[in-house]
Amino acid sequence: MSRKVRKEGYPSTRSELLGALHTKQYDEGWLSQDGLKAVSDDLNVPAAAVKGVATFYHMYHNEPMGRNVIQICTNVACMIMGAESLVDLLKKEYGLEPGGTTDDKRFTLVIMECIGACGTAPAMLVNDDFHENLDEKNIIEILNGYK
Amino acid sequence: MITVTINEKDIELEKPVTILEAARQGGITIPTLCYFEGLEKFGGCRLCLVEVEKLPKLQTACTVMVTDGMVVRTETDTIVKARRAMLEFLLINHPLDCPYCDKAGECDLQDLVALYGPDSGRFAEGKRQHPESFDDPIIVRNMERCVNCKRCVRMCEGVQGDSAITVTGRGSHSFIEPFSGGRYDCEYCGNCLTVCPVGAIMSRLHRHSYRPWFVEKEIESLCGFCGVGCSMVLQMRENTILRTIPRMDLGINKGLLCAKGRFGYDLVESSKRLTAPLVRKNGKLVPVSWDEALGTVAEKLGDIKGMNGGGLIAGIASARCTNEANYVFQRFFRETLLSNNIDSIARSFYIPAQNYLEGIFGQGVTANLISGIGNSDAVVIAGGDPTKINPVLGLQIRAAARKGARVISLSDSEGLKRFGSSQLISSAGSENILYGAVVRMLMEGSDVPGKNKALDEALQKLDAPKDKDVESRTGVSVADIGKAVDELKSAKNVSIVLGPDVLLRDGMRGLFLMASMIYLTDARVYLLSERPNEQGLADVGCLPDTLAGGRPVELSSFREKYEQEMGYAVPEKAGMGLFEMVEAMEKGSIKAAYVMGDNPVFNMPSSHRVRNAFKALEFLVVQDAFMTETAQMADVVLPAAIWSEKDGTFVNLERRIQRLHKAKNSVGGLEDWKIIVKIAGLMGSKMSFGSAKEIWEEICKASHLYGSLSYEDLESDKALWPYKGEPLRSGEAAVEVPEDHGTAPEVVVYADRSLFHSGSFSRYSAALNSIQSEPYAMMHSDLAGRIGVKDGDKVRITSGNSSLELVSMINDEIRDGSLRVPNVFEGVCVMSLIDYEPDDSSAINVQRTSGLKVEKA
Amino acid sequence: MDTFLLKNINTPGSADISVYKKSGGYKSLKKALKMKPEDIIDEVKRAGLRGRGGAGFPTGMKWDFASRDKNFPKYLLCNADEGEPGTFKDRPILEKDPHLLIEGMAISAHALQAEQGYIYLRAEYPAAKKILEDAIDQAYEDGILGEGIMGSKTNFDLAVHRGAGAYICGEETALIESIEGKRGQPRLKPPFPVNVGAWGKPTIVNNVETLSNLPLIIEIGADAYSKIGNPDCPGPKLYSVSGFVNKPGVYELPMGTSLKDIIYDHCGGIKNGGNLKAVIPGGISTPILPPDKIDCQMDFVSLPKCGSMLGSGAVMVFDESVCLVKVAARAMYFFEHESCGKCTPCREGTGWLRNILERIENGLGRRGDVELILEVASNISGKTFCPLGDGAAGMVLSFIKHFSDEFDEHIENKKCSVN
Repeated sequence: MSRKVRKEGYPSTRSELLGALHTKQYDEGWLSQDGLKAVSDDLNVPAAAVKGVATFYHMYHNEPMGRNVIQICTNVACMIMGAESLVDLLKKEYGLEPGGTTDDKRFTLVIMECIGACGTAPAMLVNDDFHENLDEKNIIEILNGYK
Repeated sequence: MITVTINEKDIELEKPVTILEAARQGGITIPTLCYFEGLEKFGGCRLCLVEVEKLPKLQTACTVMVTDGMVVRTETDTIVKARRAMLEFLLINHPLDCPYCDKAGECDLQDLVALYGPDSGRFAEGKRQHPESFDDPIIVRNMERCVNCKRCVRMCEGVQGDSAITVTGRGSHSFIEPFSGGRYDCEYCGNCLTVCPVGAIMSRLHRHSYRPWFVEKEIESLCGFCGVGCSMVLQMRENTILRTIPRMDLGINKGLLCAKGRFGYDLVESSKRLTAPLVRKNGKLVPVSWDEALGTVAEKLGDIKGMNGGGLIAGIASARCTNEANYVFQRFFRETLLSNNIDSIARSFYIPAQNYLEGIFGQGVTANLISGIGNSDAVVIAGGDPTKINPVLGLQIRAAARKGARVISLSDSEGLKRFGSSQLISSAGSENILYGAVVRMLMEGSDVPGKNKALDEALQKLDAPKDKDVESRTGVSVADIGKAVDELKSAKNVSIVLGPDVLLRDGMRGLFLMASMIYLTDARVYLLSERPNEQGLADVGCLPDTLAGGRPVELSSFREKYEQEMGYAVPEKAGMGLFEMVEAMEKGSIKAAYVMGDNPVFNMPSSHRVRNAFKALEFLVVQDAFMTETAQMADVVLPAAIWSEKDGTFVNLERRIQRLHKAKNSVGGLEDWKIIVKIAGLMGSKMSFGSAKEIWEEICKASHLYGSLSYEDLESDKALWPYKGEPLRSGEAAVEVPEDHGTAPEVVVYADRSLFHSGSFSRYSAALNSIQSEPYAMMHSDLAGRIGVKDGDKVRITSGNSSLELVSMINDEIRDGSLRVPNVFEGVCVMSLIDYEPDDSSAINVQRTSGLKVEKA
Repeated sequence: MDTFLLKNINTPGSADISVYKKSGGYKSLKKALKMKPEDIIDEVKRAGLRGRGGAGFPTGMKWDFASRDKNFPKYLLCNADEGEPGTFKDRPILEKDPHLLIEGMAISAHALQAEQGYIYLRAEYPAAKKILEDAIDQAYEDGILGEGIMGSKTNFDLAVHRGAGAYICGEETALIESIEGKRGQPRLKPPFPVNVGAWGKPTIVNNVETLSNLPLIIEIGADAYSKIGNPDCPGPKLYSVSGFVNKPGVYELPMGTSLKDIIYDHCGGIKNGGNLKAVIPGGISTPILPPDKIDCQMDFVSLPKCGSMLGSGAVMVFDESVCLVKVAARAMYFFEHESCGKCTPCREGTGWLRNILERIENGLGRRGDVELILEVASNISGKTFCPLGDGAAGMVLSFIKHFSDEFDEHIENKKCSVN
């Protein structure tokens, strides 16, 4: 988790906001209204401003997530290497729609923009783990490892 | 000198400004949308794009500063095309529901499209859908219409300092939202309504009730709620106020208002307005004609005056009434009733505090411009939250803090939570220990300033609390106080803002310590003022011992000169102050009272005692717009007009005299002065006025303070203290060190001065009630824990024979041991829990409540 | 050529400080700490180093501006938010050779007299976060960070600041907003970050690759450095190559290597023996090029002459199986998704363009759509608050410039003509 900056830290506590939201999300799986309020109170940053930040950045989740978050890139490099068919496969295999969560809360599917794995496309992040050179076979094997 | 050429026209400028400002100075129009004067620069809408020679890209006129020799073009083909393109973009997701939208007619986007926009759009896909939000009682949000100019957010964050709204999401899915996404949890200043250029953020209060072009006239007047005296424009159709709005160039508020000012005007139209005079017959108040009511008053007051002179009659004037009304009121009392028993509820704080400070520092010491606070490098707050009592003044403190000023709070000031550098909040009731510690530390290491002998001597005698006592009694660490004091010592431009609670428990001791702080830091002082005309009330002589212009009634030379100049006699002996009146009522030495525009049985401490005193009266007249608790006890009730129905003047807390302009006829009440002139006439007075203006001219004759300011002069800066340069009396008073009244009880009750109410007066505003309609008992979670209640549980507060049951509201921003209850709502009179006793040295009330009990109900 | 930036990445344990030091790591820092700050800045200027983030601004000049500002403290921010689609060139350094970056930052900090640095790391690189933080820990333990680094009088503290998923934060003022805990929307310039940046103080923002060049410049000197690659913008360059080549990946080559050499020599040519249809040379924001332009040299000076830009040096190679309308539509979806919403043309225009492109791809295109795209894109171009909108407009304009037939065919045939 985001550790406090060394020595003097940030020159303003407001700068801790992104890290505090990551921590809150790590602890609770997503950023609920209560979670945002708690961060606001901790840092003395207006609650509305906290929400503005939490909804600006794509990797903060403002809705409850499944236990495992599949973040699959469909940007150009991954798309031309077949990412779309993987998304279709996830729908077939798990009934997952982009943005959706399986009924058993095992997976949530998030469509990502470029995750910097274009040379090893298609690629995804499951939680914090990178998986590259995906195909219709290995993606299911990989996901089998996430319960 | 900078010369810039815009559209081949040379414009000379004193200092660098933006291209937009330069163009405006040169009379050249550049269309804008996201630009709003006074808000942080943004440059987002791209409508003000212009060509600047030597720069390859188009530039936004609202952000780029001119340089000498710059050549700008604003109407080239490229620009015209770019503008049209921006408007076409803006309309992609805009619903074009103008026929249905309340903003149509005053919508910036509509106007811009008409002037510069394309004939038709080429966007063929579906527009963004986002349902209109009706979650809030006051503000409707329609995010389909939003153009993302962020003016509202910049206003809310950067000017109001509330930071209650934000942009959520991003890109074309950016929406303006409060934290909840629905109802606002904000100060309801409504300044976002002012700046929204389209129909995205609208007032729900007049939704679909009118169109901008229905406005027949606009009346510039003043807000009637507090002592800041904000200017506002009343938009009228026939006899109805459609809306009140601020104007950017008007008054001291420059476009800002608070919740009360913006939304509270509706109480004028309340169905609870009194519409006919009432006279008590067989124990019941029944409607009668004006002639009968006024005749009854004249006859009864005449009878009582006949018994033993006017000394048997008390008059309570009002800081909600104009100078003109108050002047006539005191003249009626002095000339016709032969009574100097004239006072007001301003006796609770504003008048004694000002008296005391003027005694030490000279007349006019509190006459400081509110805008000066914004330029201070340190601000000290004591005795109340300025952002609630005088919200627009509070904004100046926030502005100062934003510029780096140290803001040191010595009392609960929730509204400055994010702006204060030091919050030194003593435990309830121990304020004067904290003040004493500050004063002592300010003196440490330096000699007394030597500018005021009496104060120097008093300070040397001060028995200031010791460090260990300070910590144990106030709960504030001495190190924190020391840090704040060091900041104060290093500041060069200090403002001290004092609120009513300075006196509440500590009486003169608190005030003495504040005077010492002012002295030691060479500060400007501001007295918070809960009502619009506390200063004017004093200026025109609604005081038992002082005539208009501050002339002591008991000094024969002053009195005689006054009589000579004014042509009427005044009684020699000073009259009774507010609290003495109550005692006299109890003893029977006051038999009749005339209350104009106030509600003393609700608004005075020891309200049960006050109620009983009023009950003992033989005759009570109440002149008011509503059937208040006091009016319900009256023998005659005379319906009065409210400020939007009046002409006249108010004097604000900076002693600025401002004009009130009548916008509409009253639904049933008469202007206060007219009622009194009529009664006086029935009792044989020759007093006769045809208009408020004529009264003003007489006030100027009576008060050397105002010199000969005409109503016309008041529209200019001549209305600022010291007006026409009259010499000021210097301070000469002897200064005593008032005694320390010892330890505080465990729990102290304070009247909570809500941002959304203004005493019992605002309870008649449906709009303000929609924001806050229920009473509460606010307390710290520690106190709640001790008595075993959770947020929302009922608590019972008991003091003597009085008891209130209220819903608890837990708020850790307020000090432990304090209970804050609004003195607003019918049947919930917090003043019934607060007792008073006259302070040693002055007729002020000091809360000495002990044995207050709070428990779970 | 010898690799410098990537020389360690295949060494086992390359992220460890001892491994880094074994290959000569931190010697340049030691040398730099003995130099006067202004001499380092001068060296960087003479070396001709240009920013590797995309804009190619001369680094020495930026530093010079910053060092002239006498307001302290100053902050050094490393832009490790590589979000430009197609770009993954910084990832090997961040994940495999973090000490190279730390050394580069420490040298820069000494030159700039900035005592606090932050690495703004994109949230999409969770592994890099841990690796960087571990490396920073090691550097502290070794006296390379902190007070009096390597026994000198220079202090430098360094920390990782994690982003949260916003392409726009690669723009330096948006990055600064983000590090201040705000929504990452670009700020007005002027004032420029070198004068009023993070927390109102002079701030220097440099890309990972830029900073990683510093040890080399100090080691070999400006003269030798300026002889690497194109003398107009010298130095080694990381090219990240993706798409239909046989060996995609990150390549360190002299600045100015031709596209053709990159694709056919280094990356082994087009995958499965296919034919080259088009190439995007510098990430999705840079104009696409047809095959007849592949002789163009990949550097800041040459590519504009060929109608594109170096950008981040992210080469995306398309063979004939790729539908470029589809690519354009997906790319525009990206710009719409990442538009921060601050300015009108980008916020509204990217979505509009995406709508038109998608309907063409889906066989619902109308006559006049190509002209409409051209008009809408030119209404965005040059009128936005920051370069994001320009990138979006430039992208689609270049697709139509070189491949308008493909768009026309889609509209004419009412279906995708490629697949």
